[in-house]
Amino acid sequence: MRTERPAPAYRLAVGGVLAGFAALVAWNAWSFDWLRGYDAVANEHYATVVATEHRLPSVAESSVWHTPPLWFALVGWLRRLASAAGWESVHRPGQLVAALAGVCVCIVILLLARELWPDRRVVHVVALVVAATSPALVRASAMYHPETLSTALGAGGMLAAVRGLRRGPTLANGLVAGALLGLASLTRAWALPVLLVVAVAYLLDGSRSGRRAPALALALVAGVLVVPWLAHQQASYGSPLVFNRDAPDEPLFHRRPKSFYLGPRALRVFEHPVTPVFRNELVPQLYADWWGDWALTWDAPLPPPPAGLLPSHVVAERARQAFVGFVPTVVALAGLLALCFLAAARRSLALGLIPASSLAVLAAFLVFTIRYPSTDGDTIKATYLLLALPGTALGAGLVLDRLRSQSRLGLWAVALALAVLAAVQAPFLVL
Amino acid sequence: MTERRAARLGLAVALVVVLAQLGVAAGWSLTHDDPTFLGLTRRCFEREKRLPVEATSGDPVAASASGGTLRVIVDGALVTIAIASSEREAARLERFYAADDPGERLDVLGRYVSLWLRSPSAAQRQQLHDCAY
Repeated sequence: MRTERPAPAYRLAVGGVLAGFAALVAWNAWSFDWLRGYDAVANEHYATVVATEHRLPSVAESSVWHTPPLWFALVGWLRRLASAAGWESVHRPGQLVAALAGVCVCIVILLLARELWPDRRVVHVVALVVAATSPALVRASAMYHPETLSTALGAGGMLAAVRGLRRGPTLANGLVAGALLGLASLTRAWALPVLLVVAVAYLLDGSRSGRRAPALALALVAGVLVVPWLAHQQASYGSPLVFNRDAPDEPLFHRRPKSFYLGPRALRVFEHPVTPVFRNELVPQLYADWWGDWALTWDAPLPPPPAGLLPSHVVAERARQAFVGFVPTVVALAGLLALCFLAAARRSLALGLIPASSLAVLAAFLVFTIRYPSTDGDTIKATYLLLALPGTALGAGLVLDRLRSQSRLGLWAVALALAVLAAVQAPFLVL
Repeated sequence: MTERRAARLGLAVALVVVLAQLGVAAGWSLTHDDPTFLGLTRRCFEREKRLPVEATSGDPVAASASGGTLRVIVDGALVTIAIASSEREAARLERFYAADDPGERLDVLGRYVSLWLRSPSAAQRQQLHDCAY
């Protein structure tokens, strides 16, 4: 454990990034038209039914009926409070919850970096900046949508698990990890793969050390929170992971054309990274949506009708984002792989849990998007992958810290690169 | 395995993955052409509407359109279509045509800036709009 007092520059950098990010997402949540967020109207109907009638919505009442209810219950209750207080913008509290959760995601990623590499301040700062300047996180933090809350809870569960696995799991630690991951899974199903990875890590640790109580505590608490929801879905709709449309009745790998896997129009992300270009091509659409706004929901007019033209600056801004994102993407991917190699070589469950969670979320996303093809590309969204952010941000921190020159010049080069990453994106990220 | 070695290995594999994706895309773009708006419009007029299409000549404004130009005769009425690539360009084409005060003969629909030889009927105008992408 580090006991020395952090250097002023480090404290300034961490505090500055966190304060700046908090101000950014609060401003955006305040400014963003809630109706432009994903599934806004369906989310509103769901929250209203839960808050006023204390039941789950039917298929006819909300198209997101398949989503777990925690966030809807919370924002439905906040909506009632706002309404009772005479606040006209009754959706704003829901957006502010998303913003607060976005800030929590950044804090948890910082704490994860400090837990895994206590003395490596460059790793801490790089991971924090990579997370805070991720456009997908910034956009999701302004929406009337449960994604950031699930990410914050899931990342919190990962932090509790990493702490437990590094210091020796305890009952309390298993309970906390199980509770956070259970709540995350009760917010969005994307947290289930992370819960599975953490449970397996605790089981492996238990079989190594003979301490099985933490794993049992984790499974018990998470099960108590999640199983009723999954059982309800199974009983009502025939599957615990049901979606709002039927999957095509054909073999899994026949459901998407080759272009989905190959991304033949990937070079167009640097020229015209908005709908409908490379629609349903996995990598380019995902990349354009992570670094920009492929579906045009962020500070842009609605997608134009046939023959219509987008204002030039809308496309140019997103093309600039695609260029800006190239190097960070390579570094983040490298970092994720480096974490895998390192964890495997060291046989470290605590370290391995981070990339394994990211890869599990990625695998779940891949199965989902292949299982449910859509003509408008709406099952390929970057925000679905926010729970992979801890792994990619920490990995980027590790790679940059290890591959930089260890001189003072190397440190300044990293600082400059991070400053440029934030500054160049500011016009896009600030509404 | 040291962290530096893991980082280098990760970077090498990541670069291979990214370059493979870019290689596939580069190979595809060299061997395939997505249909242009001009191509789509021409095909619509010729195959769906069965209208005679010809190359534009003697119209420097249309010739300057970055998306291309064509002429088509819609139920006896000749129209020159210029296709812009941006709002700014569409406005520029419209401004140049408007200098001659064409009135109803000038028709702007998004990227399509069209100049009719005579004022079109609603049906003729609709035929043109049907082939706008």
